[in-house]
Amino acid sequence: MRKGLLVGLLVLIAAIPWIVKSGYVFHIATMIVLTIPLALSINLTLKLDQLSLAQPAFMGIGAYTAALLTMRLGVNPSLAVLAGGFLAVVIATVFGPIFLRIKGVYFVLLTYAFGQIVNLVFQEWTSLFGGNNGLYGIPRFSIFAHSFGETEYYILGLGVAALCFLAMYAIERSDVGAIFQALNEDEMFCRSIGSNAHSWRVAAFVMSAFMAGIAGALYAFYIGFISPDSFGFEATIDLIVINVIGGPGSVFGPIIGTIVVVPLLEFLREMRQYQFLVYGFCLVFFIMFFRRGLVSIFERQREVV
Amino acid sequence: MILQMIINGVLGGLMYVVMALGFTLIFGIMRIVNFAHGEFYMAGAVLVMLLFGQFGWPFFVAVAAAGVLSAALGMLCERLLFRKLVGEELPGMIMSLAVSIILQSLALLAFGPAEQSIARPFDGTWTLFGAIVPWDRTVVAIGSVVILLAFYAFLRLSRYGIAMQAVAQDRETASLMGVEAGSVYSMSFGIACLLASLAGALMAPVYTVGPYIGSLPMLKAFVVVILGGLGSVPGAVLGGLLLGLSESALATTFGSTIALIASFIVVLCVIIVRPSGLMGRKGA
Repeated sequence: MRKGLLVGLLVLIAAIPWIVKSGYVFHIATMIVLTIPLALSINLTLKLDQLSLAQPAFMGIGAYTAALLTMRLGVNPSLAVLAGGFLAVVIATVFGPIFLRIKGVYFVLLTYAFGQIVNLVFQEWTSLFGGNNGLYGIPRFSIFAHSFGETEYYILGLGVAALCFLAMYAIERSDVGAIFQALNEDEMFCRSIGSNAHSWRVAAFVMSAFMAGIAGALYAFYIGFISPDSFGFEATIDLIVINVIGGPGSVFGPIIGTIVVVPLLEFLREMRQYQFLVYGFCLVFFIMFFRRGLVSIFERQREVV
Repeated sequence: MILQMIINGVLGGLMYVVMALGFTLIFGIMRIVNFAHGEFYMAGAVLVMLLFGQFGWPFFVAVAAAGVLSAALGMLCERLLFRKLVGEELPGMIMSLAVSIILQSLALLAFGPAEQSIARPFDGTWTLFGAIVPWDRTVVAIGSVVILLAFYAFLRLSRYGIAMQAVAQDRETASLMGVEAGSVYSMSFGIACLLASLAGALMAPVYTVGPYIGSLPMLKAFVVVILGGLGSVPGAVLGGLLLGLSESALATTFGSTIALIASFIVVLCVIIVRPSGLMGRKGA
């Protein structure tokens, strides 16, 4: 019942840009829908009892791939977005099995190092990625000859966010979700009844990279400018804060977290140092006293973190 | 040329060992991945900048004071924030991220984003078998060796060090034998922060000081502990020296970014061949 209320509320929030006709509200709404796949992608790795710090790196891989393909080779943006997601998948497929080879904290350390190194490559390989100045003048998104306006882009972003959400929701409700949960609770038992723990984990990691890659590519076409800054460790912190505040144990958690955090992020853009102070205290508070997050107001759920 | 490379590698590597030891100690005993470790390095450097650079204290007094203050800060964080999360990997990790960004923002608010350099207490170079060694790096290296020997003696010989080893091996059995886990946690966190901040304090005159200087040494510490085996003290020493040597070999010819990428690839290869690191215990 309360879940119905929550879904209704979310639909209402999605409609706000048409109710309040303001460019700024529209911009924030678009940023929210573009951030949701990222927040969900990190949530997917949390479902495996792992924390991936490489999601912004995959976002960056998607963004730079899409931007370079359209700018240098004239590929249509719609195809470039898919190519960005695809390259993130390829890279995750290569590295995922190694990152996940040992259970536990190695994954976090390795994804952290991976993220930092990918960012260093964006910064240092100036001839391709433009260094710290980034890439300017990324064209607007278009599907073949049809160029997207702001409203259409918001709808596209909303659609992608909804698809990611539905995919995650389906995973949580299906046998696959049960397998993930069982893996966390008793891996030995799972393996003894024939489920391939390693493959499931890699598959989830690859899927999370795909979501991040697509989101990154869409972000590149929306903002029109990308630089290594957007895909660094600060972006990782944003995503973690979103998950912890929203509630990592439910698919609705990251959605609520994004809706709460992204507007704050946009308002506080000029005061980044205070923002991180606030983030830090929020994380401490939620971990100590409110670990199930805001979503627990709406639904009963399991503890994940 | 090769001798110069080896000396540079050892000089750099010793600092990595000091960083990685504290990190591996907290993990070995509390099962907490401390993402704030680099911020204690930064705290050490900032305190030296204040005490030595501005107040004009003698350099080594400033270094010692920076270490003690950071250790106290670390113990406070442990008692207030981490104690409840011992053994819970994911929440512990997120808590350490929170501590990390809080310390970073506080430094940013207090000192601004610009990196500042402080006056060098030691200048010039000396030669060792024809290789040129700067004095300031020599001081860091000697300091690191002293710290490492003191740490080793503490761990092997003192009651507290043995208690720490016992808790790292088996917390429940240790507490059955009358080892109070709480004070061991507090002590190991303090020592880890002490090590990190001493590294930062010693390095402060060599590089610049700013709010973000902790992230690169922390990244190196991660690489070292994965290479050597998480929770293993000899592994941290071996890994640190290996990383220092490989970096100095590659950085002189290809630049530091390539060196970092290469060390990451080496780490991945080690994980494929020996998942628990070079000196790690199986399943540790």
